[in-house]
Amino acid sequence: MGIFFVSGLAVGSIYALSGVGLVLLYRATGVLNLAYGAIGAAGAMVAWQLVEWEYPAPLAWCAAILLAIVISFCQGRFVAPYLDFREPVIKAVATLGVMLIVLGIVNWIWVENPRRFDLPTDTIGTRLLGVRVTVTRGLVLVLALVSTAGIALYLNKTRMGLLMRSLANNRNIASMIGVPVLKVELVAWIFSGFLSGLTGLMFADLVSMNPNVLAFLVIPAIAADIVGRLESLWLTLIGGMGIGIIEAMTTLIKPVAPFRTAVPFVVAAIVILWLQRKQRLTFADDD
Amino acid sequence: MGNADAMDETASLGAKSRSASGRGSIYFVAIVAVITIALIPAVANSFWLRVLTSSAIYSLAAIGVALLFARLGLVSLAQVALVGVGGWVTLRLYFWLGLPFEINVLLGGAITGLIGLIVGLPAVRMRGLYLALVTLMFAAGFQILVTAVQFPNGAAGFMGFSFVTGEFMPRPVIATSDAAFFRYTAIVTILGFLLVELHRRTRPGRAWALIRKSEACAMAAGVNVALYKTWAFTLAGFLAGIAGGLLAGSLGVLDARTFPVQESVFLFALVIVGGVYGWAGVVLSGLLFRGAPALLNSWGIDGDIAFAIFGVALLHAIIAAPTGLAGQSQQMLAMMIKKLRSS
Repeated sequence: MGIFFVSGLAVGSIYALSGVGLVLLYRATGVLNLAYGAIGAAGAMVAWQLVEWEYPAPLAWCAAILLAIVISFCQGRFVAPYLDFREPVIKAVATLGVMLIVLGIVNWIWVENPRRFDLPTDTIGTRLLGVRVTVTRGLVLVLALVSTAGIALYLNKTRMGLLMRSLANNRNIASMIGVPVLKVELVAWIFSGFLSGLTGLMFADLVSMNPNVLAFLVIPAIAADIVGRLESLWLTLIGGMGIGIIEAMTTLIKPVAPFRTAVPFVVAAIVILWLQRKQRLTFADDD
Repeated sequence: MGNADAMDETASLGAKSRSASGRGSIYFVAIVAVITIALIPAVANSFWLRVLTSSAIYSLAAIGVALLFARLGLVSLAQVALVGVGGWVTLRLYFWLGLPFEINVLLGGAITGLIGLIVGLPAVRMRGLYLALVTLMFAAGFQILVTAVQFPNGAAGFMGFSFVTGEFMPRPVIATSDAAFFRYTAIVTILGFLLVELHRRTRPGRAWALIRKSEACAMAAGVNVALYKTWAFTLAGFLAGIAGGLLAGSLGVLDARTFPVQESVFLFALVIVGGVYGWAGVVLSGLLFRGAPALLNSWGIDGDIAFAIFGVALLHAIIAAPTGLAGQSQQMLAMMIKKLRSS
């Protein structure tokens, strides 16, 4: 029982970490980046390759995160501005294009093969609740908590955070009173790229080292975002962890165990239906 | 404000491309259809016939995606999952009741239409990003569900699946050969297109156009917004269901690995690339979806690079070419004809 809780908490923490990166970007730029997982996957593949070539592991991780930041930055600088005044759903659909490009190139360079990616923190561990807990699992939990708190502080206490929140409130008015939209957005793209590189590495270690699987792990992360209504960082954190834990615990209930990976989508669907229970769609504005 | 402008621009560009292709478009469709049905089975070998059959099947599904996006601006990322639903229901009905192929497929389409209605039901209260996410969650959930239960292959029980036995659903009596089944599929796809065209030219089409412009105006004008929105989803689900039935008929069995969430996302992307405003676009998207990977493979080019190209094409279509490849080539054709006439 404990083992499921611990592994669920770890996977849930990465859902949450991905989700926080997505929410941060969505709030500042209005883009729900479906390429987020693919960017992380590209980083993870580079790290794997560098380790294969026997470069020192820390260098490989840094390269992975750096690549993710570069891709994310380029997307924010060279793709997103063309879609500035389109609806959120069109912006999200456009990121599918970036996803296809990144995934196509990654699959072209690295032919699909069973691979393994291990972090040194896998081998160090301690016993907790009668279960061996590796440092990696502890690390993702800490990372999720620290980055959520850090980003929340950043948004609330710094000037750049203030500008980001102003963009989240109303882009048109924010740009009219002189918020440097492109600059603020690029900062958000860099942050989000950093988090996608980080989660790419963690997912590669804990879930699977297959770029096609990694790229589509963005979907459960979006489920976590839906719990946070695409705006609250803390609710996203709780949502991600909750989803991870429920998903792992479902293994214990025999009749539904084969369907356990559907938990994120079921949770997201219930939350969406709950959120819109009193809503009546009449006059359209941003949605 | 900016949103509405962008939408209007997209819609008016669509209108332009339609008028560019002229009123004769329906005759043009008929001519192309006759040539396709008569010529392709004569020249293509059995491999390409099978590829083109599945392209035609996915074109039928693509009609639903294009309908929702072009007429109502709704993004459905669950169409291939609904094709899977249609395939499952059709196989289930065949092994349960042993009905003739056509009735089976029609029932499968109707039941998938109902599922499509349920998926689209949140559209009454929401649109845009959240609705797209609801369909994405459905597609992701379906992938897991169908991987666990598999498709019926004649075993006992409601799920009707067993690894040991493995019966096939036969093709329709009138179309057992590959060539005949290709013609059969092409005709059904054309019927599907005509069904949507009929909707577009009558009351539902007018209601959709008004809803697309402004839901508030549509309500004020007495249009039942909820009804017509869910009706579009039902129609898209019905077409996906028919496509699923045809796919099951083409192969006799289905595999859960055919319907991952990726495929739904790719199909949507390719529909945008092909063009959402007419028949040429959906035919193109079906060809890109199933034909292009096979073509690249036969040339010895890595199919993965095709994805990168599709990605670039998708960005180009969204940013600069809302009518897609079909609209662009039609505009080019119209320009060339104009030049020829003036010279």
